[in-house]
Amino acid sequence: MRKKFSEFFSSKYILIAVSALCVIFIATSFFTDRLVTPLKNVVSAVVVPLQKGMNYIGLWATDGYDRLQEVSRLLDENEKLNEQVNSLTEENNRLKQDTYELDRLRELYELDAKYADYPKTGARIIGTSSDNWYSTFTIDKGSDDGMEVDMNVIAGGGLVGIITEVGKNYSVVKSIIEDGSYASAQLIDTGDVCTVSGDIELMDEGLIHVQYFKSGITVRNGDKIVTSNISEKYLPGILIGYAKDVTTDANNLTQSGYLVPAVDFEHLQEVLVITQKKEAKEAIE
Amino acid sequence: MKRKAGELLIIILFYVLQITLGRAISIGGIMPNLLVILPVVFGYLNGKNEGMFVGFFAGLLYDLSASSLLGFSALVFVYIGYLAGIFYRRYEGSEMIIPLVIIFAGDFIFEFLSYVGNFLLHNRLNLIYFITRFIIPEMIYTGIVFVLLYKLFLWLNPHLEVRNKRRVNNFDERNI
Repeated sequence: MRKKFSEFFSSKYILIAVSALCVIFIATSFFTDRLVTPLKNVVSAVVVPLQKGMNYIGLWATDGYDRLQEVSRLLDENEKLNEQVNSLTEENNRLKQDTYELDRLRELYELDAKYADYPKTGARIIGTSSDNWYSTFTIDKGSDDGMEVDMNVIAGGGLVGIITEVGKNYSVVKSIIEDGSYASAQLIDTGDVCTVSGDIELMDEGLIHVQYFKSGITVRNGDKIVTSNISEKYLPGILIGYAKDVTTDANNLTQSGYLVPAVDFEHLQEVLVITQKKEAKEAIE
Repeated sequence: MKRKAGELLIIILFYVLQITLGRAISIGGIMPNLLVILPVVFGYLNGKNEGMFVGFFAGLLYDLSASSLLGFSALVFVYIGYLAGIFYRRYEGSEMIIPLVIIFAGDFIFEFLSYVGNFLLHNRLNLIYFITRFIIPEMIYTGIVFVLLYKLFLWLNPHLEVRNKRRVNNFDERNI
Protein backbone atom coordinates (compact mmCIF):
# COMPACT_ATOMS: atom_id res chain seq x y z
CA MET A 1 0.00 0.00 0.00
CA ARG A 2 2.79 2.31 0.99
CA LYS A 3 4.62 1.56 -2.24
CA LYS A 4 1.56 2.27 -4.28
CA PHE A 5 1.10 5.54 -2.48
CA SER A 6 4.63 6.74 -3.19
CA GLU A 7 4.39 5.57 -6.78
CA PHE A 8 1.27 7.59 -7.26
CA PHE A 9 2.96 10.66 -5.92
CA SER A 10 6.17 10.25 -7.83
CA SER A 11 4.41 10.02 -11.20
CA LYS A 12 2.33 13.02 -10.26
CA TYR A 13 5.45 15.02 -9.53
CA ILE A 14 6.99 13.85 -12.77
CA LEU A 15 3.88 15.05 -14.58
CA ILE A 16 4.19 18.48 -13.00
CA ALA A 17 7.90 18.68 -13.77
CA VAL A 18 7.46 17.61 -17.38
CA SER A 19 4.55 20.02 -17.83
CA ALA A 20 6.70 22.85 -16.54
CA LEU A 21 9.47 21.82 -18.93
CA CYS A 22 7.03 21.83 -21.85
CA VAL A 23 5.69 25.23 -20.88
CA ILE A 24 9.25 26.56 -20.81
CA PHE A 25 9.81 25.06 -24.27
CA ILE A 26 6.64 26.67 -25.58
CA ALA A 27 7.50 30.03 -24.07
CA THR A 28 11.04 29.93 -25.45
CA SER A 29 10.07 28.84 -28.94
CA PHE A 30 7.45 31.56 -29.01
CA PHE A 31 10.18 34.18 -28.95
CA THR A 32 13.29 32.59 -30.40
CA ASP A 33 14.50 29.71 -32.55
CA ARG A 34 17.66 29.21 -30.51
CA LEU A 35 16.22 26.21 -28.70
CA VAL A 36 14.57 24.66 -31.73
CA THR A 37 17.43 24.82 -34.20
CA PRO A 38 20.00 22.66 -32.36
CA LEU A 39 17.28 20.16 -31.43
CA LYS A 40 16.16 19.96 -35.03
CA ASN A 41 19.72 19.50 -36.22
CA VAL A 42 20.26 16.61 -33.83
CA VAL A 43 17.00 14.95 -34.82
CA SER A 44 17.49 15.53 -38.53
CA ALA A 45 20.97 13.98 -38.39
CA VAL A 46 19.27 10.76 -37.28
CA VAL A 47 16.00 10.96 -39.11
CA VAL A 48 16.81 12.40 -42.54
CA PRO A 49 18.88 9.38 -43.67
CA LEU A 50 16.00 7.17 -42.52
CA GLN A 51 13.56 9.34 -44.44
CA LYS A 52 15.69 9.08 -47.58
CA GLY A 53 15.79 5.32 -47.17
CA MET A 54 12.02 5.11 -46.72
CA ASN A 55 11.58 7.30 -49.75
CA TYR A 56 13.74 5.06 -51.92
CA ILE A 57 11.93 1.97 -50.67
CA GLY A 58 8.60 3.59 -51.51
CA LEU A 59 9.75 4.64 -54.97
CA TRP A 60 11.24 1.20 -55.62
CA ALA A 61 8.01 -0.51 -54.54
CA THR A 62 5.76 1.68 -56.67
CA ASP A 63 8.20 1.32 -59.56
CA GLY A 64 8.06 -2.46 -59.40
CA TYR A 65 4.30 -2.48 -59.11
CA ASP A 66 3.86 -0.09 -61.99
CA ARG A 67 6.26 -2.03 -64.15
CA LEU A 68 4.34 -5.28 -63.72
CA GLN A 69 1.08 -3.57 -64.50
CA GLU A 70 2.21 -1.67 -67.49
CA VAL A 71 4.28 -4.11 -69.52
CA SER A 72 1.38 -5.25 -71.69
CA ARG A 73 -0.02 -1.79 -72.04
CA LEU A 74 3.39 -0.50 -73.05
CA LEU A 75 3.70 -3.00 -75.89
CA ASP A 76 0.50 -1.70 -77.45
CA GLU A 77 1.52 1.82 -76.82
CA ASN A 78 4.91 1.30 -78.39
CA GLU A 79 3.36 0.64 -81.78
CA LYS A 80 1.25 3.74 -81.62
CA LEU A 81 4.17 5.78 -80.42
CA ASN A 82 6.34 4.68 -83.29
CA GLU A 83 3.79 6.08 -85.66
CA GLN A 84 3.68 9.23 -83.63
CA VAL A 85 7.46 9.58 -83.70
CA ASN A 86 7.39 9.85 -87.44
CA SER A 87 4.80 12.55 -87.50
CA LEU A 88 6.44 14.36 -84.61
CA THR A 89 9.83 14.39 -86.30
CA GLU A 90 8.26 16.26 -89.09
CA GLU A 91 6.52 18.62 -86.72
CA ASN A 92 9.73 19.09 -84.74
CA ASN A 93 11.55 20.36 -87.77
CA ARG A 94 8.85 22.90 -88.29
CA LEU A 95 8.90 23.93 -84.61
CA LYS A 96 12.67 24.33 -84.62
CA GLN A 97 12.27 27.02 -87.17
CA ASP A 98 9.70 28.65 -84.92
CA THR A 99 12.13 28.46 -82.00
CA TYR A 100 14.77 30.40 -83.88
CA GLU A 101 12.19 33.02 -84.54
CA LEU A 102 11.12 33.01 -80.87
CA ASP A 103 14.70 33.43 -79.69
CA ARG A 104 15.13 36.39 -81.94
CA LEU A 105 11.88 37.92 -80.70
CA ARG A 106 12.82 37.35 -77.06
CA GLU A 107 16.05 39.21 -77.51
CA LEU A 108 14.06 41.89 -79.17
CA TYR A 109 11.73 42.26 -76.21
CA GLU A 110 14.49 41.77 -73.66
CA LEU A 111 12.77 38.93 -71.90
CA ASP A 112 16.03 37.78 -70.34
CA ALA A 113 14.50 37.80 -66.89
CA LYS A 114 12.16 34.97 -67.74
CA TYR A 115 12.51 32.31 -65.12
CA ALA A 116 13.88 29.75 -67.53
CA ASP A 117 17.16 31.50 -66.97
CA TYR A 118 17.30 31.41 -63.18
CA PRO A 119 19.94 29.07 -61.76
CA LYS A 120 18.16 26.05 -60.36
CA THR A 121 18.93 22.87 -58.53
CA GLY A 122 16.77 19.77 -58.20
CA ALA A 123 15.68 18.31 -54.88
CA ARG A 124 13.57 15.37 -53.80
CA ILE A 125 10.70 15.58 -51.35
CA ILE A 126 11.43 13.29 -48.41
CA GLY A 127 8.79 14.19 -45.84
CA THR A 128 5.67 16.14 -45.09
CA SER A 129 4.36 17.99 -42.09
CA SER A 130 3.20 15.55 -39.43
CA ASP A 131 -0.15 17.26 -38.90
CA ASN A 132 -3.10 17.61 -41.24
CA TRP A 133 -3.37 21.37 -40.95
CA TYR A 134 -0.39 22.40 -43.02
CA SER A 135 1.11 21.36 -46.32
CA THR A 136 4.74 22.15 -45.68
CA PHE A 137 7.19 19.52 -46.83
CA THR A 138 10.82 18.63 -46.37
CA ILE A 139 13.35 18.34 -49.21
CA ASP A 140 16.63 16.47 -49.09
CA LYS A 141 18.97 19.42 -49.55
CA GLY A 142 20.10 21.79 -46.83
CA SER A 143 22.70 24.40 -46.04
CA ASP A 144 25.42 21.94 -47.08
CA ASP A 145 24.04 22.08 -50.62
CA GLY A 146 23.76 25.86 -50.60
CA MET A 147 20.10 26.17 -49.72
CA GLU A 148 19.03 29.37 -47.98
CA VAL A 149 15.85 30.68 -46.44
CA ASP A 150 13.58 32.58 -48.89
CA MET A 151 14.72 30.71 -51.98
CA ASN A 152 11.82 30.09 -54.38
CA VAL A 153 10.75 26.55 -55.18
CA ILE A 154 9.13 25.58 -58.48
CA ALA A 155 7.98 22.37 -60.13
CA GLY A 156 6.42 21.53 -63.45
CA GLY A 157 6.72 25.14 -64.59
CA GLY A 158 4.77 26.63 -61.70
CA LEU A 159 5.47 28.11 -58.31
CA VAL A 160 5.40 25.63 -55.42
CA GLY A 161 6.45 27.78 -52.50
CA ILE A 162 9.35 29.18 -50.59
CA ILE A 163 11.99 27.79 -48.23
CA THR A 164 11.24 28.83 -44.68
CA GLU A 165 13.78 26.83 -42.76
CA VAL A 166 17.15 25.31 -43.54
CA GLY A 167 18.99 22.61 -41.63
CA LYS A 168 22.28 20.96 -42.42
CA ASN A 169 20.87 18.24 -44.64
CA TYR A 170 17.25 19.26 -45.15
CA SER A 171 15.07 22.30 -45.84
CA VAL A 172 11.44 22.97 -45.16
CA VAL A 173 9.30 24.39 -47.95
CA LYS A 174 6.10 26.29 -47.25
CA SER A 175 3.76 25.85 -50.21
CA ILE A 176 1.55 28.58 -51.63
CA ILE A 177 -1.61 26.54 -51.04
CA GLU A 178 -0.95 26.45 -47.32
CA ASP A 179 -3.21 28.39 -45.01
CA GLY A 180 -1.68 31.73 -44.12
CA SER A 181 0.69 31.82 -47.07
CA TYR A 182 0.61 35.04 -49.09
CA ALA A 183 2.24 36.06 -52.36
CA SER A 184 2.07 39.24 -54.36
CA ALA A 185 1.07 38.47 -57.95
CA GLN A 186 -0.01 40.04 -61.22
CA LEU A 187 -1.83 39.23 -64.42
CA ILE A 188 0.72 38.22 -67.02
CA ASP A 189 -0.70 40.31 -69.84
CA THR A 190 -1.82 43.54 -68.21
CA GLY A 191 0.35 43.58 -65.08
CA ASP A 192 -2.59 44.27 -62.76
CA VAL A 193 -1.49 43.48 -59.23
CA CYS A 194 -3.29 41.13 -56.83
CA THR A 195 -2.59 38.98 -53.80
CA VAL A 196 -2.64 35.21 -53.78
CA SER A 197 -3.32 33.48 -50.47
CA GLY A 198 -3.75 29.85 -49.47
CA ASP A 199 -6.82 28.66 -47.59
CA ILE A 200 -7.31 25.32 -45.92
CA GLU A 201 -11.08 25.50 -46.42
CA LEU A 202 -10.57 25.38 -50.20
CA MET A 203 -8.40 22.28 -49.97
CA ASP A 204 -11.04 19.94 -51.37
CA GLU A 205 -11.54 22.07 -54.48
CA GLY A 206 -7.79 22.38 -55.00
CA LEU A 207 -8.07 26.15 -55.30
CA ILE A 208 -6.55 29.14 -53.54
CA HIS A 209 -7.75 32.72 -53.12
CA VAL A 210 -6.81 35.60 -55.35
CA GLN A 211 -7.75 39.00 -53.99
CA TYR A 212 -7.43 42.76 -54.33
CA PHE A 213 -7.73 43.17 -58.08
CA LYS A 214 -8.76 46.74 -58.91
CA SER A 215 -12.43 47.01 -59.74
CA GLY A 216 -12.07 48.45 -63.24
CA ILE A 217 -10.29 45.58 -64.90
CA THR A 218 -11.62 42.42 -66.47
CA VAL A 219 -10.23 39.08 -65.39
CA ARG A 220 -11.35 36.10 -67.43
CA ASN A 221 -11.27 32.47 -66.38
CA GLY A 222 -7.95 30.94 -67.34
CA ASP A 223 -5.97 34.19 -67.28
CA LYS A 224 -2.40 33.47 -66.26
CA ILE A 225 -1.27 34.86 -62.93
CA VAL A 226 2.45 35.19 -62.21
CA THR A 227 4.52 36.46 -59.30
CA SER A 228 4.82 40.22 -59.40
CA ASN A 229 7.77 42.56 -59.59
CA ILE A 230 6.90 44.17 -56.29
CA SER A 231 6.89 40.93 -54.31
CA GLU A 232 9.43 40.99 -51.52
CA LYS A 233 10.55 37.39 -51.66
CA TYR A 234 9.30 35.89 -54.90
CA LEU A 235 11.23 36.38 -58.11
CA PRO A 236 9.12 38.06 -60.80
CA GLY A 237 7.45 36.21 -63.64
CA ILE A 238 7.00 32.74 -62.15
CA LEU A 239 3.67 31.19 -63.13
CA ILE A 240 1.41 30.61 -60.13
CA GLY A 241 -1.76 29.47 -61.84
CA TYR A 242 -4.91 30.40 -63.67
CA ALA A 243 -7.69 32.74 -62.54
CA LYS A 244 -11.16 31.38 -61.89
CA ASP A 245 -14.47 33.09 -61.09
CA VAL A 246 -13.14 36.56 -60.30
CA THR A 247 -16.02 38.80 -59.24
CA THR A 248 -16.43 42.24 -57.73
CA ASP A 249 -16.38 42.37 -53.95
CA ALA A 250 -19.17 43.79 -51.84
CA ASN A 251 -17.20 46.99 -51.32
CA ASN A 252 -17.19 47.66 -55.09
CA LEU A 253 -13.54 48.68 -54.93
CA THR A 254 -11.79 45.37 -55.35
CA GLN A 255 -12.33 42.08 -57.11
CA SER A 256 -11.51 38.66 -55.86
CA GLY A 257 -11.90 35.06 -56.86
CA TYR A 258 -10.02 31.81 -57.06
CA LEU A 259 -6.86 30.55 -58.63
CA VAL A 260 -6.14 27.07 -59.96
CA PRO A 261 -2.47 26.36 -59.14
CA ALA A 262 -0.29 25.35 -62.07
CA VAL A 263 1.39 22.70 -59.94
CA ASP A 264 -0.24 19.39 -59.02
CA PHE A 265 0.46 19.45 -55.30
CA GLU A 266 -1.02 15.99 -54.74
CA HIS A 267 1.62 14.18 -56.73
CA LEU A 268 4.70 16.25 -56.13
CA GLN A 269 7.91 14.21 -55.89
CA GLU A 270 10.71 16.38 -57.14
CA VAL A 271 11.02 20.14 -57.08
CA LEU A 272 13.45 22.71 -58.43
CA VAL A 273 14.94 25.26 -56.07
CA ILE A 274 15.93 28.58 -57.62
CA THR A 275 19.25 29.29 -55.98
CA GLN A 276 18.99 32.99 -56.66
CA LYS A 277 17.22 35.14 -54.12
CA LYS A 278 15.22 38.24 -54.77
CA GLU A 279 17.27 40.59 -52.57
CA ALA A 280 20.55 39.20 -53.86
CA LYS A 281 19.41 39.81 -57.38
CA GLU A 282 18.51 43.37 -56.65
CA ALA A 283 21.80 43.95 -54.86
CA ILE A 284 23.70 42.85 -57.96
CA GLU A 285 21.69 45.07 -60.21
CA MET B 1 17.21 1.42 -19.69
CA LYS B 2 17.12 -0.93 -22.66
CA ARG B 3 13.39 -0.74 -22.52
CA LYS B 4 13.54 3.03 -22.88
CA ALA B 5 15.93 2.69 -25.81
CA GLY B 6 13.50 0.27 -27.45
CA GLU B 7 10.66 2.70 -26.95
CA LEU B 8 12.69 5.54 -28.42
CA LEU B 9 13.40 3.39 -31.47
CA ILE B 10 9.69 2.70 -31.89
CA ILE B 11 8.95 6.42 -31.56
CA ILE B 12 11.50 7.29 -34.24
CA LEU B 13 10.14 4.54 -36.49
CA PHE B 14 6.58 5.84 -36.13
CA TYR B 15 7.75 9.39 -36.69
CA VAL B 16 9.50 8.44 -39.93
CA LEU B 17 6.43 6.49 -41.03
CA GLN B 18 4.22 9.48 -40.22
CA ILE B 19 6.18 11.99 -42.28
CA THR B 20 7.05 9.75 -45.22
CA LEU B 21 4.18 7.28 -45.54
CA GLY B 22 1.61 9.67 -44.07
CA ARG B 23 0.67 11.37 -47.34
CA ALA B 24 0.67 8.07 -49.20
CA ILE B 25 -1.93 6.48 -46.95
CA SER B 26 -3.96 9.64 -46.44
CA ILE B 27 -7.65 9.46 -47.34
CA GLY B 28 -9.18 12.67 -48.59
CA GLY B 29 -6.10 14.57 -47.47
CA ILE B 30 -6.38 13.27 -43.92
CA MET B 31 -3.62 11.13 -42.49
CA PRO B 32 -3.80 9.22 -39.22
CA ASN B 33 -1.93 10.58 -36.23
CA LEU B 34 0.39 7.64 -35.63
CA LEU B 35 2.36 9.28 -32.84
CA VAL B 36 -0.62 9.82 -30.53
CA ILE B 37 -1.12 6.06 -30.43
CA LEU B 38 2.21 5.46 -28.67
CA PRO B 39 1.69 7.22 -25.31
CA VAL B 40 -1.74 5.62 -25.01
CA VAL B 41 -0.47 2.11 -25.69
CA PHE B 42 2.57 2.34 -23.45
CA GLY B 43 0.73 4.18 -20.72
CA TYR B 44 -2.04 1.60 -20.73
CA LEU B 45 0.30 -1.38 -20.78
CA ASN B 46 3.10 -0.13 -18.54
CA GLY B 47 1.83 2.64 -16.31
CA LYS B 48 1.87 6.40 -16.04
CA ASN B 49 5.61 6.94 -16.06
CA GLU B 50 6.10 5.03 -19.29
CA GLY B 51 3.15 6.82 -20.83
CA MET B 52 4.57 10.20 -19.92
CA PHE B 53 8.06 9.25 -21.12
CA VAL B 54 6.79 8.05 -24.49
CA GLY B 55 4.35 10.97 -24.73
CA PHE B 56 7.06 13.53 -24.14
CA PHE B 57 9.43 12.25 -26.82
CA ALA B 58 6.70 11.43 -29.34
CA GLY B 59 5.25 14.92 -28.86
CA LEU B 60 8.65 16.57 -29.15
CA LEU B 61 9.29 14.83 -32.47
CA TYR B 62 5.80 15.68 -33.65
CA ASP B 63 6.46 19.34 -32.88
CA LEU B 64 9.73 19.36 -34.78
CA SER B 65 8.05 18.57 -38.08
CA ALA B 66 4.71 20.27 -37.52
CA SER B 67 4.37 24.00 -37.91
CA SER B 68 3.50 24.68 -34.32
CA LEU B 69 5.24 25.76 -31.14
CA LEU B 70 7.86 23.39 -29.81
CA GLY B 71 6.58 21.69 -26.68
CA PHE B 72 2.87 22.03 -27.35
CA SER B 73 2.30 18.49 -28.62
CA ALA B 74 4.75 17.20 -26.02
CA LEU B 75 2.64 18.78 -23.29
CA VAL B 76 -0.62 17.33 -24.58
CA PHE B 77 0.92 13.91 -25.29
CA VAL B 78 2.34 13.74 -21.77
CA TYR B 79 -1.13 14.27 -20.35
CA ILE B 80 -2.56 11.69 -22.74
CA GLY B 81 0.08 9.21 -21.58
CA TYR B 82 -0.71 9.99 -17.95
CA LEU B 83 -4.42 9.57 -18.57
CA ALA B 84 -3.82 6.20 -20.20
CA GLY B 85 -1.59 5.21 -17.28
CA ILE B 86 -4.48 5.67 -14.87
CA PHE B 87 -6.08 2.58 -16.39
CA TYR B 88 -2.87 0.55 -16.09
CA ARG B 89 -3.69 -2.93 -14.70
CA ARG B 90 -7.29 -1.97 -14.10
CA TYR B 91 -8.30 -4.03 -17.11
CA GLU B 92 -6.91 -6.93 -19.10
CA GLY B 93 -4.12 -5.85 -21.42
CA SER B 94 -6.00 -7.30 -24.36
CA GLU B 95 -9.05 -5.14 -23.63
CA MET B 96 -9.05 -2.82 -26.61
CA ILE B 97 -11.97 -0.50 -25.87
CA ILE B 98 -10.35 1.52 -23.08
CA PRO B 99 -7.24 2.61 -25.01
CA LEU B 100 -9.39 3.17 -28.09
CA VAL B 101 -11.61 5.58 -26.19
CA ILE B 102 -8.53 7.33 -24.78
CA ILE B 103 -7.15 7.70 -28.29
CA PHE B 104 -10.41 9.18 -29.54
CA ALA B 105 -10.59 11.60 -26.63
CA GLY B 106 -6.89 12.44 -26.68
CA ASP B 107 -6.71 13.01 -30.41
CA PHE B 108 -9.84 15.13 -30.35
CA ILE B 109 -8.52 17.33 -27.55
CA PHE B 110 -5.10 17.60 -29.17
CA GLU B 111 -6.44 18.52 -32.60
CA PHE B 112 -9.01 20.86 -31.15
CA LEU B 113 -6.32 22.72 -29.23
CA SER B 114 -4.18 22.96 -32.36
CA TYR B 115 -7.20 24.28 -34.24
CA VAL B 116 -7.66 26.94 -31.59
CA GLY B 117 -4.00 27.91 -31.73
CA ASN B 118 -3.57 27.79 -35.49
CA PHE B 119 -6.91 29.01 -36.79
CA LEU B 120 -9.45 30.17 -34.23
CA LEU B 121 -7.07 32.81 -32.90
CA HIS B 122 -6.57 33.98 -36.49
CA ASN B 123 -10.27 34.69 -36.81
CA ARG B 124 -11.16 31.46 -38.58
CA LEU B 125 -14.44 30.76 -36.85
CA ASN B 126 -15.81 28.02 -39.09
CA LEU B 127 -15.67 25.54 -36.19
CA ILE B 128 -18.06 22.95 -37.61
CA TYR B 129 -16.15 22.75 -40.87
CA PHE B 130 -12.84 22.18 -39.15
CA ILE B 131 -14.24 19.59 -36.78
CA THR B 132 -16.12 17.58 -39.40
CA ARG B 133 -13.56 17.90 -42.18
CA PHE B 134 -10.33 17.46 -40.21
CA ILE B 135 -10.66 16.45 -36.60
CA ILE B 136 -13.28 13.69 -36.70
CA PRO B 137 -11.87 11.95 -39.80
CA GLU B 138 -8.41 11.99 -38.23
CA MET B 139 -9.79 10.54 -34.98
CA ILE B 140 -11.52 7.71 -36.79
CA TYR B 141 -8.58 6.95 -39.04
CA THR B 142 -6.21 6.95 -36.07
CA GLY B 143 -8.59 4.64 -34.20
CA ILE B 144 -8.64 2.20 -37.12
CA VAL B 145 -4.86 2.17 -37.35
CA PHE B 146 -4.69 1.59 -33.60
CA VAL B 147 -7.04 -1.40 -33.81
CA LEU B 148 -4.93 -2.86 -36.60
CA LEU B 149 -1.68 -2.36 -34.73
CA TYR B 150 -2.73 -3.21 -31.18
CA LYS B 151 -2.00 -6.94 -31.43
CA LEU B 152 1.49 -6.05 -32.60
CA PHE B 153 2.00 -3.85 -29.55
CA LEU B 154 0.73 -6.56 -27.22
CA TRP B 155 3.27 -8.93 -28.72
CA LEU B 156 6.06 -6.35 -28.73
CA ASN B 157 5.60 -5.01 -25.22
CA PRO B 158 6.97 -8.02 -23.25
CA HIS B 159 9.76 -8.40 -25.81
CA LEU B 160 11.08 -4.97 -24.91
CA GLU B 161 11.40 -6.32 -21.39
CA VAL B 162 13.17 -9.58 -22.27
CA ARG B 163 16.45 -7.88 -23.00
CA ASN B 164 16.54 -6.65 -19.40
CA LYS B 165 17.50 -9.75 -17.45
CA ARG B 166 16.89 -8.52 -13.94
CA ARG B 167 13.32 -7.68 -14.71
CA VAL B 168 12.73 -11.04 -16.32
CA ASN B 169 13.90 -12.75 -13.13
CA ASN B 170 11.56 -10.68 -11.02
CA PHE B 171 8.78 -11.44 -13.35
CA ASP B 172 9.41 -15.19 -13.14
CA GLU B 173 9.59 -15.23 -9.37
CA ARG B 174 6.33 -13.50 -9.05
CA ASN B 175 4.69 -15.89 -11.44
CA ILE B 176 5.97 -18.97 -9.64
